[in-house]
Amino acid sequence: MTQAVVTISGSATVAEAVKLLKEKGLRAIIVEPRHSCDRYGIVSETDIVYKVAAHGHDPKSMHVYEIMTKPCIVINPDLGVEYVARLFSQSRIRRAPVIQDGLLGIISTSDILRKGDFIEKPKELFLEDRIDVARAEARTICKEKRDTSPDCAAAWDIVEELQMAASDQRSKDKEASEKSSFEVYCENNPNAKECRIHDD
Amino acid sequence: MMQAKEIMTQDVVTVSGSATIADAITKMKDKGLRALIVEPRYNGDPYGIVTETDVVYKVAAHGHDPKIMTKPCIVVNPELGAEYVARLFANTRIRRAPVIQNGLLGVISISDILRKSDFVEKPKSDFDRYCEENPGAREARMYD
Repeated sequence: MTQAVVTISGSATVAEAVKLLKEKGLRAIIVEPRHSCDRYGIVSETDIVYKVAAHGHDPKSMHVYEIMTKPCIVINPDLGVEYVARLFSQSRIRRAPVIQDGLLGIISTSDILRKGDFIEKPKELFLEDRIDVARAEARTICKEKRDTSPDCAAAWDIVEELQMAASDQRSKDKEASEKSSFEVYCENNPNAKECRIHDD
Repeated sequence: MMQAKEIMTQDVVTVSGSATIADAITKMKDKGLRALIVEPRYNGDPYGIVTETDVVYKVAAHGHDPKIMTKPCIVVNPELGAEYVARLFANTRIRRAPVIQNGLLGVISISDILRKSDFVEKPKSDFDRYCEENPGAREARMYD
């Protein structure tokens, strides 16, 4: 995600929003909640071009609340990047605020493309569900065609392959998270013995 | 009214339709672009486009998908007014299109419209636009 987020009030004019977008080089601004129970909103470049510029409306006399999306879809900071991509694809959005006890940042399709590792390390989604289905299928096939039939063996091979992929993915995730917690520790305790870097 | 050619981005990168998705992503990352134009294969073949959104919606979300480009894509004439480009984009729900006239001249995006056109300073109503296009019309006359 991008931690530099700019917020605006729903009562600001569209011209003010355009100025902020231009100045900060942003594609969207988060609309602040009005009180503690209110929701976050978002106003994007696309909202402004589709709803204001396309119709020749005067941005100085239109307000953010007239074109914003509120409540908007928000992302939990712990959600996996592949799931963020799937959520974006299914809801046809490109950008959402990351929220947990307040606004933490904003995540966009650009962040996923530029910072995600889906090309180097493609992750398979719903592996556990697919294992369940493959296992049930294997049991049915083996019951119908005898346990020693080639079809039965092939069906269990599929289950085996999926299980291996799942355990591989789990160990990679574990490695990644262990590494980062050690790094966090060293960041917090730069003088600790374990964190020293030896050059020779 | 400002024209498409005045606000478009001339720095365009093209990619072949047969390139791999990994190649396309590397090009986008290296050049800091949100879309690549897919070259026509022969004279008379249409242009195509592959965007960041295509990659994230189709590849990152669902695993490999070999057909991610949009071809033929919507193209913009360099003389089209910025407000009309905005309206075309809104009607077709697109955000970016190549500007073509006897070849590829540039790419125009919603960011170009927002950042470089004068819609904030000089918003144009349909009537303003009509008067601009028909300066001789009776309704368009100005009385000092």
